[in-house]
Amino acid sequence: MNVSRRWLQAVAPGLDLGAGEIAARLAMRGAPVERITDLAAGIAGVVIGRVQRVRRHPNADRLSVCEVDGGNGTVQVVCGAPNVRAGACYPFVPVGAVLPGDVRIKRVRIRGQESRGMLCSARELGLGTDHRGILELAGQFDPGSPFAPTVGLDDHRLDVEVSPNRGDLLSHVGVARELVGEGGIRLAELPGAVEHELTVRTGSPAVDGAGVRVRIDDPRQCRRYMAAVVRGVRVGPSPEWLASRLRAAGAHPINNVVDATNYVLLELGQPLHAFDLARVAGPGIVVRGARQGETVRTLDGERRELDEGMLLICDPGEALAIAGVMGGSESEIGEGTTDVLLECALFNPKGVRAVRRALGMSTDASYRFERGVDPAGLELAIRRTVSIIVATAGGEPAPTLLDACPRPWRAPVVALRPDRVGQLLGVRFEAGDIVNLLEPLGYRCRPAAGALEVTVPGHRSYDTLREVDLVEEIARVHGYDRFPDSLGAFRPGTVPDDPLLRLQDRLRTTLVGRGFLEAHTTAFAPAEEGEVEVLNPVSAEESRLRRTVLFGLLHAVEHNFARGARDIRLFDMGAVFGTDGSGGLPRETNRLAVAMTGRRRPHHWSAGDRPWDEWELRGLAEELVAAVLPGECSVEPGAFDSTFFEAGCEFVLRAADGSVVGGAGKVRADRVDAPVWAGPVWGLELELGDGVRGRPDPVFRPLPAFPAVERDLALLIPDSLPARQVLEFLEKGGGRDLVGVSVFDLFRGGDVPDGYRSIGFRLRFQSGRRTLTDNAVDRAVRRLVRRLKEEFGVEPRAGAAGSGR
Amino acid sequence: MSEAGSLIDELRALEREAQDAIAGTSDPAALEQVRVAFLGRREGRVSRILRQLGGLAPEARPAVGAEANRVKQVLRGALDERERGFARERADARTPARDLTLPGRDRWRGARHPVTLVVDEICDIFARLGFTRARGPEAETEWYNFVALNTPLDHPAADEQDTLYLKGGGLLRSHTSPVQIRILEEYPPPVRILAPGPAYRRDTWDATHAPAFFQIEGLAVDEGITFVDFKATLSEFARRFWGPGTRVRFRPGYFPFTEPSAEVDVKRRVVGADGSVEETAWLEIMGAGMVDPAVLENVGIDPERYSGWAFGMGPARIAMIKYGITDIRMLYENDIRFLAQFA
Repeated sequence: MNVSRRWLQAVAPGLDLGAGEIAARLAMRGAPVERITDLAAGIAGVVIGRVQRVRRHPNADRLSVCEVDGGNGTVQVVCGAPNVRAGACYPFVPVGAVLPGDVRIKRVRIRGQESRGMLCSARELGLGTDHRGILELAGQFDPGSPFAPTVGLDDHRLDVEVSPNRGDLLSHVGVARELVGEGGIRLAELPGAVEHELTVRTGSPAVDGAGVRVRIDDPRQCRRYMAAVVRGVRVGPSPEWLASRLRAAGAHPINNVVDATNYVLLELGQPLHAFDLARVAGPGIVVRGARQGETVRTLDGERRELDEGMLLICDPGEALAIAGVMGGSESEIGEGTTDVLLECALFNPKGVRAVRRALGMSTDASYRFERGVDPAGLELAIRRTVSIIVATAGGEPAPTLLDACPRPWRAPVVALRPDRVGQLLGVRFEAGDIVNLLEPLGYRCRPAAGALEVTVPGHRSYDTLREVDLVEEIARVHGYDRFPDSLGAFRPGTVPDDPLLRLQDRLRTTLVGRGFLEAHTTAFAPAEEGEVEVLNPVSAEESRLRRTVLFGLLHAVEHNFARGARDIRLFDMGAVFGTDGSGGLPRETNRLAVAMTGRRRPHHWSAGDRPWDEWELRGLAEELVAAVLPGECSVEPGAFDSTFFEAGCEFVLRAADGSVVGGAGKVRADRVDAPVWAGPVWGLELELGDGVRGRPDPVFRPLPAFPAVERDLALLIPDSLPARQVLEFLEKGGGRDLVGVSVFDLFRGGDVPDGYRSIGFRLRFQSGRRTLTDNAVDRAVRRLVRRLKEEFGVEPRAGAAGSGR
Repeated sequence: MSEAGSLIDELRALEREAQDAIAGTSDPAALEQVRVAFLGRREGRVSRILRQLGGLAPEARPAVGAEANRVKQVLRGALDERERGFARERADARTPARDLTLPGRDRWRGARHPVTLVVDEICDIFARLGFTRARGPEAETEWYNFVALNTPLDHPAADEQDTLYLKGGGLLRSHTSPVQIRILEEYPPPVRILAPGPAYRRDTWDATHAPAFFQIEGLAVDEGITFVDFKATLSEFARRFWGPGTRVRFRPGYFPFTEPSAEVDVKRRVVGADGSVEETAWLEIMGAGMVDPAVLENVGIDPERYSGWAFGMGPARIAMIKYGITDIRMLYENDIRFLAQFA
């Protein structure tokens, strides 16, 4: 909502504050000011110029050569505006003066003609966007007098941010009421405007008078429709006081009749519409729902196809306007209009909202109707509009005001318990305090048993309909900053700290400790990376919800490759989405993804570099899966997601029950757009479930009392036999005293035959009851060797069996 | 007695003399000479004193003998220590000199994302005020995202959040507030939670907008919670997070699911390089308010008995203010040169 400071002060004469102070007060009342524009800023050098003579430019069709009286004698000015005419006054910038944007006006030659100054459009003065021509001032002014104060532009425009519940602030009177209270509001007399003796005639659902008939066919969508008629107007430009007021509030003057309706909209918040009565058949107004296939051409020139039931303003034959949204071009006020029908109505906020959304448009009128227009303010608004029209366009008002009012409006009454106010706000307010806080805003309070009966004024009748709404009004008017902020006692809550968030904390600590950087990727993905479709995506790249986190992380790796990074270690945790075909919400699970490439450690002068490899990846996978899941998890070769990882260089991560919870591997070359110098990229993706609930405490085992004995066993194992089988066989078959088996060496070549490798296993024996003798250990090793031969045909490498450490 | 006393004095003088001699040696051979001179069995000066014991009265002998033994022990220890010192010097002399000015072996430094840093800091502060963390789904229904939060779909308030809808039903939550409903459905009051997580809106990427962004929801519901509590808790948080001397301002605001509603601003004290203290402009840090009774009714909680407050905060915006980041897209580009700055 654009508010003019001068206009505000005109309706609130006691408001003797600067724009900055007004903004500060409004902020503390819940209507912060986003921007203050000093309308006179930068146009101090602009004066009133009167064009004395206009002739065509000898060398350019579209230019004119004007003689302009700028107060210091007459100068020649070349002007490109189509609307320049002799005898009229315009804002004029003489040579040497400066325009907004620090444009200094110089003496120039334009197509051979000297130009000493510039006549300006509204946009060039920073007064709006109108650039169709130069700004012609209505009336005569002294040439050379300063422009801004002469036309009332020593003003500020405040862009007030109005929340959706505060439709009452969408007018100058509404904003002023918030600042000075109802008692401080005075509707200023306007030049030439007088009160006319108009009698209201009501009827339901139809009313006749002033030569017009008004009928409401849809009383649910149109609660009230007032109409007035002014005959014999002369449509033309508005006087300068009216035009400049509108401009100060950011609106464009159009003509005296339309400007009067816009003036009242901005002053009182009531949207009005003026029809050319000659274009209204009957003449009669019917407020009804659209019929199937009906269309209307709106003021913006578009032909709108209407859905059945959309509320229209019609004459007995055709649609004239879309109710509460926009008028039609057929009945638009034009230069030939002599008789005007004024509409001042009250439409259902939800209905207006539905229609304007369906049509994809929003207007000043629909914006206000959606947020609620004061149902008690119609008569004042239409009377004031009639006065302004007669004052600026002449004509004679019909003595009857029509008021089709199917349901009279009754102010809501809300019971307010002072005790409840104290219970919610923590500060006690007596009934008297409450009355003093609410009544300036137009509420009327009446004591009743144990409560106040609060009558809500029309302008607040959309928002404050419950006791708690009034509690907010009391807090707001009292001032939030006046409540104490001393911390009291509190009870702990019943909600346990979320297990997944706790798990994520732990994983972050682990990975950050290992040198990984946490990335943040979003849940969006292109079509090939997700199943769940977004119905109204912003772009094709964000048209689905991801099915993996790794996808986004690889994208981040590419981003860093493109910036020359070789050593990249990233992780992220987040939700992935899938469909289960049931048509309900997507299946949503949380995952961790890790991606790395380059060197394991930064280069050091003492040694060569080692890149990440499958063994680092496998070790990391084992650590992470054990951190996430209880019990004996495992990592083993196998395919998890063949679209990500190279066949033959891929692991699956399994929970203790054998279910697959993730995968890791060497990322396929076609999944990452990598420069030639880049090393392989390794990736991992792991389901996090809901986090670990009730992870069991470790159980202490007594430390061994007897020494351990180790034996190394080098076995010749054919390539066809996976090492894991041998390892598991050793672990299971070594007897109770074999407490550990590890691989300490792998060797090919030398005396090892082709198709075989020598794998060195280190066996660790330990008893909880006695010191093991060499003999006993050797016997156990010999038994293992014998059974290995029986089971796999595997033999020790010559001379290596059973060697002690 | 006086004879015994003078022997003890003599022993103590010898001890000092021997210690000086040991310290003054520069090689093992010299040390051996000192040992022989003082502790040698025959000619050693300590041994010679011991031999005079026989001339003393029997009752004086033990005192002198004990002192002589103590001195011998001390000197032996000193000789051994000096001997080990020579051995260390010999070993060091064999090893080439180390240049310890060379750089050490570095490790990759990991880092949490700046938004995580802010989320963790906020959650830590609230944890001390009795809050636990909670979570809810990111794909939600209109009920949880709007209706249960007292936001009718045909009200202009629903326009403020341009929502992304999903094929097959549901939407991407446009704020973390649905977690309020999910938690209040599941747990009885008192409830004191923070719910950090992503939220989504139909925004295109620019310097200050992202279609996916982090939010932190806060919710406290209990008997007797008032607007004063609300102000106090959030002011306490703001001062702990933004530093002492921070001023906190509550302005009326509007959210369909809080009543009264507030916007919370802070004005920080910033200490300049020259030690001067300046106040920043007011920064909007969260939207908040007392939980609307309609929300409590929607989850079956009696609003006459229970009341509460809630807030929503944008940690990305806070991270940008705190770390001086000027473009929100930096937070999602995952450039390692950026991420590594938060190690």
